[in-house]
Amino acid sequence: MYELKAVDKKFPGVHALKSINFHIKRGEIVGLVGENGAGKSTLMKVIYGAYQPDGGQILINGAGVRFSNPRQAMEKGIGMVFQEQSLIPNLTVMENIFLGYERQFVRFGIVDWKAMAAAAKAQLAKVKLDIDPATVTSKLSFVQRQLVELAKVLTLEERVKGDLVILLDEPTSVLSKDEVQLLFKLVRELTTRASFIFVSHRMDEVMELSDRIYVMKDGEVVDVVERGGATAEAIQHKMVGRNVDKQYYREHLQTPFDRSKVLVEMTGVGLPGRIQDISFKVHAGEVLCLVGTEGSGREAILRTIYGMLTPVTGRLKIKGRDANGYSPRQSVASGVGYVPRERKIEGIVAGMNVYENMTLSQMKNHSSSGVLRVGEERALAREWIRKLSIKAHSEFADCGNLSGGNQQKVVLAKWRSGGSDIMLLDHPTRGLDIGAKEDVYDMVRAMSAAGVGIVLVADTLEEAIGLSHTIIVVKDGRMQKEFACEPGAKPTPFDLLHYMI
Amino acid sequence: MDIQRLKPHLPWITLVVLVAIVGINDPGFLRPSNLLGIAGDIVPLFIMALGLTFAIYIGGIDLSAQSVANMVTVVASVYLASMGAWVAVFCVLAGFLLGMLSGYVTTRLFVPSFISTLAVGGVAFSIAQWLSGQRALNMDATQRNETFGWMIGHTWGVPNELLIAAVLVAICLFIERRTTLGRALKAVGAGELAAAASGLNVARYKILAFAISGALAAIAGLLFAVKLSGGAPTIANGFLLPAIVAVLVGGTPLTGGVGGVVNTVIGTLIVAVIRASMLYFEIDATRQQIVFGIVLIVAIALTIDRAKLRTVK
Amino acid sequence: MTRRLSRETMIKWAPLLVLIALVIFFTALNPTFFSLRNFARIAIAAAPALMVAVGVTFIIVMGSIDLSMEGTVSLTAVSFAFIFAQLGGSLAGLGWIAIPLVLVIGGVIGLLNGLVHVKLKIPSFMASLAMGFVGTGAAILLTGGDIVKVSDATFRGLLTVRWLGFPLMVYVAAFFLFVGWFIQTHTTLGRNFYAVGGGEDLAHASGLNVTRVRVTGFALAGVFYAIAAMLVVARIGQAESVTGANFMFVSITSVVVGGVALWGGIGGVWNALVGVLIVNVIDNGMVVIGLPDFLQDGVLGLLVILAVVLSTDRKMVSFVK
Repeated sequence: MYELKAVDKKFPGVHALKSINFHIKRGEIVGLVGENGAGKSTLMKVIYGAYQPDGGQILINGAGVRFSNPRQAMEKGIGMVFQEQSLIPNLTVMENIFLGYERQFVRFGIVDWKAMAAAAKAQLAKVKLDIDPATVTSKLSFVQRQLVELAKVLTLEERVKGDLVILLDEPTSVLSKDEVQLLFKLVRELTTRASFIFVSHRMDEVMELSDRIYVMKDGEVVDVVERGGATAEAIQHKMVGRNVDKQYYREHLQTPFDRSKVLVEMTGVGLPGRIQDISFKVHAGEVLCLVGTEGSGREAILRTIYGMLTPVTGRLKIKGRDANGYSPRQSVASGVGYVPRERKIEGIVAGMNVYENMTLSQMKNHSSSGVLRVGEERALAREWIRKLSIKAHSEFADCGNLSGGNQQKVVLAKWRSGGSDIMLLDHPTRGLDIGAKEDVYDMVRAMSAAGVGIVLVADTLEEAIGLSHTIIVVKDGRMQKEFACEPGAKPTPFDLLHYMI
Repeated sequence: MDIQRLKPHLPWITLVVLVAIVGINDPGFLRPSNLLGIAGDIVPLFIMALGLTFAIYIGGIDLSAQSVANMVTVVASVYLASMGAWVAVFCVLAGFLLGMLSGYVTTRLFVPSFISTLAVGGVAFSIAQWLSGQRALNMDATQRNETFGWMIGHTWGVPNELLIAAVLVAICLFIERRTTLGRALKAVGAGELAAAASGLNVARYKILAFAISGALAAIAGLLFAVKLSGGAPTIANGFLLPAIVAVLVGGTPLTGGVGGVVNTVIGTLIVAVIRASMLYFEIDATRQQIVFGIVLIVAIALTIDRAKLRTVK
Repeated sequence: MTRRLSRETMIKWAPLLVLIALVIFFTALNPTFFSLRNFARIAIAAAPALMVAVGVTFIIVMGSIDLSMEGTVSLTAVSFAFIFAQLGGSLAGLGWIAIPLVLVIGGVIGLLNGLVHVKLKIPSFMASLAMGFVGTGAAILLTGGDIVKVSDATFRGLLTVRWLGFPLMVYVAAFFLFVGWFIQTHTTLGRNFYAVGGGEDLAHASGLNVTRVRVTGFALAGVFYAIAAMLVVARIGQAESVTGANFMFVSITSVVVGGVALWGGIGGVWNALVGVLIVNVIDNGMVVIGLPDFLQDGVLGLLVILAVVLSTDRKMVSFVK
């Protein structure tokens, strides 16, 4: 009844969806799985109307439709239950349920609260939630909020003629096991009212709930599995199965690291709600890779080392000294460099030129009593522009106008030129084209050879495996498993995936 | 694309065009002595705008500048007799401390700068009223001339105020272009998160920016008090609007990071020429405020970097 | 969870407790503070400020800010004085028509204010500050810097006619406070202010026309400023370009001290009332116990910082410009 035919979506430099075919029947529950970046979220956005496809067709009961915004999609019966709470916390439950559609309860300009409460009660009954509709949303538990969201989407039932398709984006990520079962039971019952598209990182849950599962990889649907048609392992293989070119990740350049020299040591570090009991060591020349799903705590670990987060338990030693202050300033002073994931927001300062960006973290080295030695800065920038072959017309080029790869080189140069020997790399190749990625891999190897300790959060599993000496799998803020990654004896993506989800 | 390339040049083009228009209509306007006179008259306003530039450059705003200047006119008038020339140091220090207070409240207590500076402005206003007893005060004429007479004289036909302004511009320009402080302020204005991720102590630099703004507002107030030979808690009212206009028209947008001291010099001159031209075209002085208000809206709309505002609140 | 709840409860009731504490404090120092005559004095001073505060409360609840009140109050006050005079200068005659006209003028100024903010995508504090300057400028233009007298006895009855010890204007203000409360709780518009303030993106995603809500909010605030302007004119019997002076500081302070959160979504007209009363009780109390009243601004300045600091959940704020 709902169908996508050869749907294409391109972004500058990325072919996000490649000729996707997808359909869902009345009352069906369809699962959608794939690695980060496989195109799941783009596909969802196309379905609920946030993106418009560049090619292909969207059909509802055989008729072509086009949505220019989510509201239009809603009017055709397509609703979305967001992963992050999309309820407004300071409003009451009933106001949230009918937000934007209050008019039906207005008489002579006055809102009839009783009528709205009664109607909200009816919606809440659909999801078996017995709460006062006048409760302020922020007072609800997570599972209650999730159910209210569902009830809100189900108001489409009265408003729209025809069938409903409801997207559930990671609805279980903050729920306990019992709550998940409660939700699943409810969703199964609600199939009399709507079809569901269920997106989750947790393979077991997807297998349990879905009638069919779409497996996505690199913007394509690689397989459609019927219920009971494949094991979890088989599906996971399909998600990651890719021929890895060893040359690509410069494996032949990987050299053993110096086990005698510990640069970073974490012992039992914990931050409530984010990470727990994290302990590891980073040695000189080691590339240590943190692997896990989105929100598994990888970033929190990086930011703790960098001093942007202060752990509540455990201790962190940098080069043998206790890092007590936990401020980026202190970390930088002890030789830590941080290449953030949001390159354009945290990496470079757009509007400042190359030399200004490069010396931003080390102005002390190039100034005397607060007065900058600009000539020296420029010379340094010229040297690194040459060393890393940064494509910029000169050291005066605005970093905001450089390409992504060159921006990343500037960020790396910023730390390396300042003598940082502990590097934290958060998705250093994100959004770069292949050539620029290879440049980054070369730089990682070069730094490793120079005795720099590197903590990496990679863009893909292959990248993590290819680049690292050591891999630590993190799940729900805890360390799951440590892998040694000597060249020739590296784990497969599947080995890792097993511990990730 | 072309507009984007033209944008940085708009302020001085505007200035040249305005001068040309007024000059053609009234050649007398272009006489050096007239131009010098116009420039000299606007110096106190300019100094305040110079200070505001720092606050706006980091993406904040300082609405206390006018109250600080008011307060300083009173402080100067009250303590000139007892402190002599030291009163100048005292005034600047007071402005600097009030600015630090604004900065501290903004950065450490997470109060938006337009509220924190409004509040600190209230504090300054109270101090001014308390010290003055809510009256207009006069300086002793001989003592003023002895101590601060040099501020308002002429040197080779050039008003001394202009020389003071030039010295301040040179200092501010040096801070902006050649010091770690200036570089850090630019980074904070252009990309606060990146600056923090580079290990800069962002809060300290922001506090310093507000402190500089306060100090320069104090200098503006001091000069104004010397010019008028007195002070009162509301004497500098009417400065804030044109000072903000000067900064924004010069091309330092409300979102910060771009522009700077030189832009404010040009912006202030634009304000001065607009004022003078209103006189020449016999536009009633009562319209001045409405004109500047509208110019302000246009200037913000043209300069603001909307990419930096996720949602406009 | 319980700690959070108690914190919320504390923040909710703190302004009222402060108000009661202040009343007790001043009464203890000078018993004449606690008298009907003095309360009437406080109420008269508070009535126009309350109207401005109610207007700006809607804006702050949306997460925006309006700093145009000084200009708007001046301009509407002057407009009222002129129109009133044109129409015969008496409420008994055709003069009453000036009242609805000025309310419309206030609404239009607010509408412009909102349009400049939303359509030109200028942050509201700057858009409204600039529009406030324009408003004051227009008032100067209209009056040429002169004072316009309004001496109609019927109109001034708002001040002179008393009922139960309080002049009529206090009841007028109370009535419009009630209107404000009604809009806040019983109309879609009022609730939409809270939706926008609570999560603009989410409200937008739910299909709310956020732009229209914002612009309407500013227009509504303009109407309340116009009411404030007329009450001021009734109180002092004249209008001029500085009639609105100091309303910005006092009203923002009141609203914030009353417990309306600056980042939107929390608080309402009752908070505005409590805030205005706190500010005016301090003001009046300082005079009653013999302190110089010019310390007011400084005390209020510190108070507003304190209020923002106490009510801000530090963890929620990532960085502030």
